Amino acid sequence: MTLHVIRREYVEIVRRKSFVIGTIVAPLLMATFFLAPVLLSFFVPSQQFHLAVVDQTGEVGAAFVAALKDTLADGRAKYAATLVPATGGRYEGAREETVAGVREGALDIVVAIPATVFDDGGASYITKEVRNFQILEDLENVLTDIVMRRRLAREGVDTERVASLTTPVRLEMSQITAKGGVEKKDFLTEWAVVFVFVMILYASLLTWGITISRGILEEKSSRVIEVLLSSVRPRQLLFGKVIGIGLAGLTQFAVWSLAGIALTGMGGAMALSALSSVDIPPVVWLYFVGFFLLGFLLYASIFTVVGSICSNEQDAQQLQGIVTLPMIIPILTLMLIIQNPNGPIAVALSFIPLFTPMIMMARVVIVAPPLWQVLLSLALLAASIHLAISFSARVFRVGILMYGKRPSLREVIRWYRVAG
Amino acid sequence: MSAAPAVELTGVVKRFGDTTAVDGVSLSVPPGSIFGLLGPNGAGKTSAIRMMLQITLPDEGTIRVLGDPVERLRTDRIGYLPEERGLYKKMRVGDLLTFFGEIKGLRRSDARERALAWLERLGLAETVAKKTEELSKGMQQKVQFITTVIHEPDLIILDEPFSGLDPVNTNVLKDIILEYRRRGHTVVFSTHMMEQVEKLCEHICLIDRGRVVLEGTLASVKARYGRGGVSLRFDGDGSFLRDLPAVESLMDHGNEVFVRLRDGARPEELLEAARGRVTIRKFEVAEPSIHDIFLELVGKG
Repeated sequence: MTLHVIRREYVEIVRRKSFVIGTIVAPLLMATFFLAPVLLSFFVPSQQFHLAVVDQTGEVGAAFVAALKDTLADGRAKYAATLVPATGGRYEGAREETVAGVREGALDIVVAIPATVFDDGGASYITKEVRNFQILEDLENVLTDIVMRRRLAREGVDTERVASLTTPVRLEMSQITAKGGVEKKDFLTEWAVVFVFVMILYASLLTWGITISRGILEEKSSRVIEVLLSSVRPRQLLFGKVIGIGLAGLTQFAVWSLAGIALTGMGGAMALSALSSVDIPPVVWLYFVGFFLLGFLLYASIFTVVGSICSNEQDAQQLQGIVTLPMIIPILTLMLIIQNPNGPIAVALSFIPLFTPMIMMARVVIVAPPLWQVLLSLALLAASIHLAISFSARVFRVGILMYGKRPSLREVIRWYRVAG
Repeated sequence: MSAAPAVELTGVVKRFGDTTAVDGVSLSVPPGSIFGLLGPNGAGKTSAIRMMLQITLPDEGTIRVLGDPVERLRTDRIGYLPEERGLYKKMRVGDLLTFFGEIKGLRRSDARERALAWLERLGLAETVAKKTEELSKGMQQKVQFITTVIHEPDLIILDEPFSGLDPVNTNVLKDIILEYRRRGHTVVFSTHMMEQVEKLCEHICLIDRGRVVLEGTLASVKARYGRGGVSLRFDGDGSFLRDLPAVESLMDHGNEVFVRLRDGARPEELLEAARGRVTIRKFEVAEPSIHDIFLELVGKG
């Protein structure tokens, strides 16, 4: 009997438009979001910038033009630069002339380098389009490098020697893992992975929890419930429902995982650094499934109560709002926990069963928390799942045949006693 | 009848908080009969039925269904049509019927086959792939009937089955009930529509405010309460009738009145008394209808 309930729940959900959209379209949107800029750069030719370099110094300009080596995706030079030598008094005139070129549209950018650049570092960048600040920054870096080298050369310092003496220090991060080994880690992408996974965990628990309360409410308000109860026991009905919906949740996650793996694979293949560097350890998927299942049992019980005691959509939405309010806490504190995964806030929140799945998920991925904390938090979670299931199953049994005003908490507790 | 009762309630009590919905009900449904559970709204009919199905449990008393204590109820042997009807709105008709057949113990292919046969029989074959919410109300009611009988139960329990049905569906349902009776199955239904009781039931049980007021075969109930009466139709002021010595009680149906006579009084006395005071259109010596018995027993208190 339970099996048939499971299948009905599963099939009806998986067939829903909202499920198909959420499962297939969402990752597609994500994929386009990540890959579109890459794809676009292949097909849309980038702009070449026409550049005039007005040089009063007689030495910087030529080096500058020579240093502009950036190329576009199609192989053309990004900057088509023309050197305008204008030493001494010719500088102002040449500057005016080239600026007129910008005004007429023959040129995109004028870089004017006065002789005083060695003293005060001042030079001009004249354009119609101020939006492209990246270009300003690029040109500034190139020019700075050249001017600095000239200054040092004037002082008689060996520039190569300076370069080697001023090589910056790089801190390479490693982490001692749970197994005692030492691993090199890219912390930034690890944080991102944790963040994304915890957000998906939170959204999934909430979505599938609410699906349960809506499903129960539907059976109540459509009065299907009575026919069901003449065929299956309330417990069979409830467990069948929870298992069926849980499986639908896992199915969605499986599709997303495959899409994610394909996406990072594609990113890697296309040498897209932002994606290829995301290397998700396989154990993270396992953690996710484990924490999803545990969290789902708890949240499902809570939302079972919500669905059982309400008789209409408005009541249910209001109650869902109240119930989901505290669930946002792990998300609000997530950044704090990622930064300090063994700090007091993280440890304290781990022991609140409602938060354990999200908080522990974040902590075990980033750092190996003390074993006693993992075990204690799981024990507390398991205990509260046990209590929540027996409570919700009883409230369900009474509540599904009750219509009308939403009962008070005291009444619900009375139901629990009566149903025992 | 030697076989065990299809349903047997003994001293059953059900309380909801301070109200007692069912107050010591005992009744016995003979197997293979059509049994009418009568009573006004709020009498405790639905509460009694829910306990027969183990949807709720009695606070006191015992219930046996198809020979077994209700705790060991074989749900696949029972079909139930609740008073408040409903289907999964988004499910396709074929899937829905298959599901209801499956939870009643049918194999999936078997359930599907029977669903199609029933849809065919009730002229709904083309709805099999439609969502139930796309069906008209009458069609939804037919689908609901199928969910009750798809697994060929030995006992069907129908709670107010005729309420809200149009004449076409009333006949469809009546056919199903009679077919079940013919095959030797048992039908229990609750109702407050007495003309259906008169036409269908062999046994009745009238409950009021949680208690059994009368129980027995239709014929025995009529024999017990039908101490003769007269159906009268006339023009003019008939208010004097109520005060005649031969009249025990009078029920005004609008166009007609039903007069119950005192023991030993003869119908002719009534005819004589009425002659000349009103113009008589119809004068018929009749047994009282279940409707009148119902009103008399329940209306008094």
